Amino acid sequence: MSSLIELPDAADDPTATAARGRSKAGGSLGRYLLVRFLLIFPTIFILVTLVFFLMRITGDPITAAMGGRLTPDQLAQRISEAGYDRPLPVQYVEYLGQVFTGNFGRTLTDNRAVTEVLLTYGAATLELALNALVIALLVGIPFGLLAARFRDKWPDAVLRVAAILFYATPVFFAGLLLKLVFGVGLGWLPIAGRAGIDSELALTGLGAPTGIYWLDAIRSGNWDALGDVGRHAVLPAVALGLLTAGVFLRLVRTNVIGTLGREYVEAGRSRGVSEYRLLAHHSFKPALIPIITVMGLQIALLLGGAVLTESTFEWKGLGFMLAQYLTARDFVAVQGIVMLLAVIVAVTNFTVDVVAALIDPRVRY
Amino acid sequence: MTSTPTRLRFAAAVMGASALALTACTGPSGTTATSGTATGGTITVGTTDKVTSLDPAGSYDNGSFMVMNQIYPFLMNSAPGSPDPEADIAESAEFTTPTEYTVKLKPGLKWANGNDLDSADVKFTFDRQVKIADPNGPSSLLGNLDSVEAPDATTVVFKLKQGNDQTFPQILGSPVAPIVDDEVFPADEVLDDDSIVSGKAFAGPYAIDSYKKNELIAFKAYDGYQGLLGAPATPTVNMKYYADSNNLKLDIQQGNIDVAYRSLTPTDVESLGKDSKVKVHKGPGGELRYIVFNFDTIPFGAATSDADAAKALAVRQAAAHLVDRQAIATQVYKDTYTPAYSYVPAGFTGAIEPLKDLYGDNGGPSVDKAKATLEAAGVTTPVTLNLQYNPDHYGPSSGDEYAMIKNQLETGGLFKVNLQSTEWVTYQKSRITDYPMYQLGWFPDYSDADNYLSPFFAKDNFLNNNYDNADVDRMISEQRVTVDQAKRTGLIEDIQTAVANDLSTLPLLQGAQVAVAGTNVQGVDQTLDASFKFRLGVLSK
Repeated sequence: MSSLIELPDAADDPTATAARGRSKAGGSLGRYLLVRFLLIFPTIFILVTLVFFLMRITGDPITAAMGGRLTPDQLAQRISEAGYDRPLPVQYVEYLGQVFTGNFGRTLTDNRAVTEVLLTYGAATLELALNALVIALLVGIPFGLLAARFRDKWPDAVLRVAAILFYATPVFFAGLLLKLVFGVGLGWLPIAGRAGIDSELALTGLGAPTGIYWLDAIRSGNWDALGDVGRHAVLPAVALGLLTAGVFLRLVRTNVIGTLGREYVEAGRSRGVSEYRLLAHHSFKPALIPIITVMGLQIALLLGGAVLTESTFEWKGLGFMLAQYLTARDFVAVQGIVMLLAVIVAVTNFTVDVVAALIDPRVRY
Repeated sequence: MTSTPTRLRFAAAVMGASALALTACTGPSGTTATSGTATGGTITVGTTDKVTSLDPAGSYDNGSFMVMNQIYPFLMNSAPGSPDPEADIAESAEFTTPTEYTVKLKPGLKWANGNDLDSADVKFTFDRQVKIADPNGPSSLLGNLDSVEAPDATTVVFKLKQGNDQTFPQILGSPVAPIVDDEVFPADEVLDDDSIVSGKAFAGPYAIDSYKKNELIAFKAYDGYQGLLGAPATPTVNMKYYADSNNLKLDIQQGNIDVAYRSLTPTDVESLGKDSKVKVHKGPGGELRYIVFNFDTIPFGAATSDADAAKALAVRQAAAHLVDRQAIATQVYKDTYTPAYSYVPAGFTGAIEPLKDLYGDNGGPSVDKAKATLEAAGVTTPVTLNLQYNPDHYGPSSGDEYAMIKNQLETGGLFKVNLQSTEWVTYQKSRITDYPMYQLGWFPDYSDADNYLSPFFAKDNFLNNNYDNADVDRMISEQRVTVDQAKRTGLIEDIQTAVANDLSTLPLLQGAQVAVAGTNVQGVDQTLDASFKFRLGVLSK
């Protein structure tokens, strides 16, 4: 879902233009949020419909799984028993009915409740996304500040090129490179999985685990497992995080350069305020607002990248499972996962809209 | 008016609340785990196979059956080193009348959950397989089963539609036959894995101690198992699942796992063979790879404009003279396949190699014999052959395999081969009607020669390639019900010889079972036999 927010110029004074923004749009905050909320539903509906019909075009799963071993008659009988020979609209209406009643069905290929798949693997994807976001912030913000501070000098040039490389490099390629260098070549870090076998068994055996391993390791005080989980998390988080770090780096640089040139900064400089303070406090803070907004929007990018990252590193989350079920033409599972991803993206965008409206009254609604 | 810092704090709270809400939505659905960490003596096996379902009624694949072999009891099983069925948790198993196969269970058997394991469980197991008949399940293997009776707690009588079915003991050790607990499993639907694990419905050599589907299984020896396989050599075994064979290879190389079993690429196996830290173990495999001939549409076939049965046979025979199986096995598959000169794989009772004597030069190719065969039949060369293969179902090396076959068939200028590939969804539909010659692969349902003969050469077989030989059909029916094992073996040999003369299909390669293990691991070779059952209980280090 695309945001209708127009990003504010960070150097402007938000409070001074608040009333002007409202009167231009002529709407209330409540109405704006309501519209944004209601837009979630058609977005999800369209995605679910598209996925349903696109998956059906590629054939039925029983043929895909058993076509080589059964006679045409046996195959037809099994397809009929499973209901895949009925008209598509009939199957579609039945599916929508199930979705509305909260019944996402059972996967065709491994007989699991789709809700169980979503709950089990969603935690892994959330963990990866959070890890990647941390990497993105740790890389993007300091280096963005550095690039702004040394604008048009060699550190700036190097960092700008690096930023372009970060978000232009396909995540699976970055992942493979990292695996080859740090896993196979140097042998420093694990190349696959979320944890070693001992840690997996220990964390799985906890009562009511969250499924986010580092959180479970902390909760149980298992520091060995925490270290192991951390080692496994580094390469996937870096591969995915750098993708977003490039965006953050460029964004911080641009916005901080904008604020560094403002009159109040010049005034501060003339009064003897240190360059560090001017950069870190007077320029960076106003530049933070669009970064928070973009951070929310990057969730969609992270989820898209998670499919490739998880597959590369055997990080068994929703993206990994989505790729597996797609290969097996498991309609039911794919529909469920795509629907959850659509909900996450739609809800995140809605949250971003709310946040943007709250922190910056100039947003037009 | 709200200040910017306050708004920021509020915004952060909104985002945090959203993240927490998402977190709440995504926690795992509880766990069935019961144990802590692995011990030093634990063996860890890695695989790229997948578990479809732990319920025997809901799966029919290698990955699921491999796990079932460790956790469920069978009436019949095969001891390490042999494909032949023997009583597992049974005291005896035999035909008491031609249509009644009677099994006596050992007394006092228990499930890991404490429930009694008796004849009621056995009857329940087979009745629910037939009743559920899940599309992903193996219920089709029970086509000859009429009913099951349990006259007392340790006696089970299987009533068969066709008497003296000699494959029935094999069926009782096949994917349709793991015995399940009637107090845990429902009678009319497939049970989910977590319920099976939490219900401790195990009575095989191992019980599952911790289960994360297609990620990690921790097995712990079950001391109540009193069957053929005996007590496991290693009390705890972990099974780790991989999606990418590259990761499996790297983990066995780096010593992160002890054994890699199914499926490393031929290149990886070759590479690991040169690594001193690991050992490559090979055993006979059940997979056969063929070229199938459609008797109606091959050159001079029955439905062509120049139909001539003798010329059509000469074309098939010439193709058999020209193929160089060893070259394909070595160059394409790095010897993870072996040449197949038989319709029944080596290692099975009754397997012979008639194709080695009939065609080529003692197993190698012979252009001269191919040329002579075509000339004798009056076939004008070159003959155009339309050959199809599939790139996405029979492994990624199929393209290389069939490129080599094309070159071999075109040697000497006798054939001109039009090689085409088709994606699986279309391929499996079109092979019957549209392809004169095509690639086929076959894994057995159970370890009996019949499973390589009936589906291919009996009348109305699943190939639908218009092959019809009344003598072969009669012998296939006869061997299924011949009690005298020597006589049955003779019939199986005769069928292979007859089919080798007719060349309904042209066997090319037999897959080898390959496992790569650390040099400190023992027992791998014991389990790589023609039963194709990987028994974790024989592994130790």
